[in-house]
Amino acid sequence: MPTDIGTLRSLDLFSEFTEEELKALSPLIHRVRVTEGEILTQRGEPATNFYIVLSGNFMIAFNNERAFTLHRRGDIIGWSTIVTPFRYTGNAVALTQGDALVLRGDEFLRLIQADSVIGDKIMNKINPIIAERVPYFSRDKAPARSSSGR
Amino acid sequence: MTGFEAISAHNGWAIAAIGISIVFTGLTLLSIIISQLHKVLEYIEARGKSHGGRASKDDSEIIIVIPKEVRQAARQYRMIVDRIGEPFALPRLLELASRHGLEKPHSTINSLIKKQVILPDGEGYFTWNEKAS
Repeated sequence: MPTDIGTLRSLDLFSEFTEEELKALSPLIHRVRVTEGEILTQRGEPATNFYIVLSGNFMIAFNNERAFTLHRRGDIIGWSTIVTPFRYTGNAVALTQGDALVLRGDEFLRLIQADSVIGDKIMNKINPIIAERVPYFSRDKAPARSSSGR
Repeated sequence: MTGFEAISAHNGWAIAAIGISIVFTGLTLLSIIISQLHKVLEYIEARGKSHGGRASKDDSEIIIVIPKEVRQAARQYRMIVDRIGEPFALPRLLELASRHGLEKPHSTINSLIKKQVILPDGEGYFTWNEKAS
C-alpha cells in the first residue's frame, strides 16, 4: 500500500517536495514493521532498500566495530542505495520494534536520475548525513582499550 | 474572703494577665519556629550533602538515576563492560550480552542508551556513565 502524502510531507527528507513530487513518490514507498533484533542492512551486501525511520530505535555498526544509534523519526538507513558502489557500508539492526518507510534502491536511484529537481532536493538532504557518517566507517579500529578493573 | 475580692487581694488579676501573656508569647514563638523550620532543615540537608556522598563532588554534577526496571540489567551489562574495557564497541556488548543469554539485549541496550547510562563518545564507541547510580 502506498504511503500517504501527509506522512511523507512530515519528514524532513521530503520537506521541500511539491505536492506533485510527493504524489509521484508516494507509490514507491511502503511502510514496514520491524521487530527487535531485525537486521535491515548487512555490510557488503548490495544496497537494495532505503529506509526512513518512523518510530523505534536502530543501531548501525561498521567493520571497525564503531557504531551509532538512531532514535529520531526521519533518520535514514541505507544511503548506499544511491551512492556507488551501491553496497551497504554497515549493519543496521533494530534495537526495538518500530516502523519504517522502505523504498527500493533501484526505484529510488531511477527517481533521482530521472528528475534532476527531485534528485537535487534529495541529495541536498542526504549529503550532510553521508558526510556525518563517513568518519565512522573510514577510520581504523580504536587503539587497545583500558579495562576499568572493577 | 471569697470570690473576686479574694482574687484581687492576692494579685490574681495580675497573675492571670501574666499567665495569659506567657502562654500567648510561647504560642507565638512556637509558630514562628515552626514557620521557619523548613529553612533549618534545608540548611542541615545542604550541609549533609557537602560533607559526604557522591553528590558532594560537585553541586552542579548531574546524577543519573537508573530506573528500577533496568537497574538489574544495568548491573549485568556493567560487568560485561568492565570485562571488555572502555570505550567499548556497542556491537561487542550486544554480542556478549546475547552470548550470556541476557534477556532482550537489543532493547535493554537501547534503554540504557536512552537513560544515558551508556553514552556515545562521538567516535563510534561508547562509555559507561559514571554518574549513573
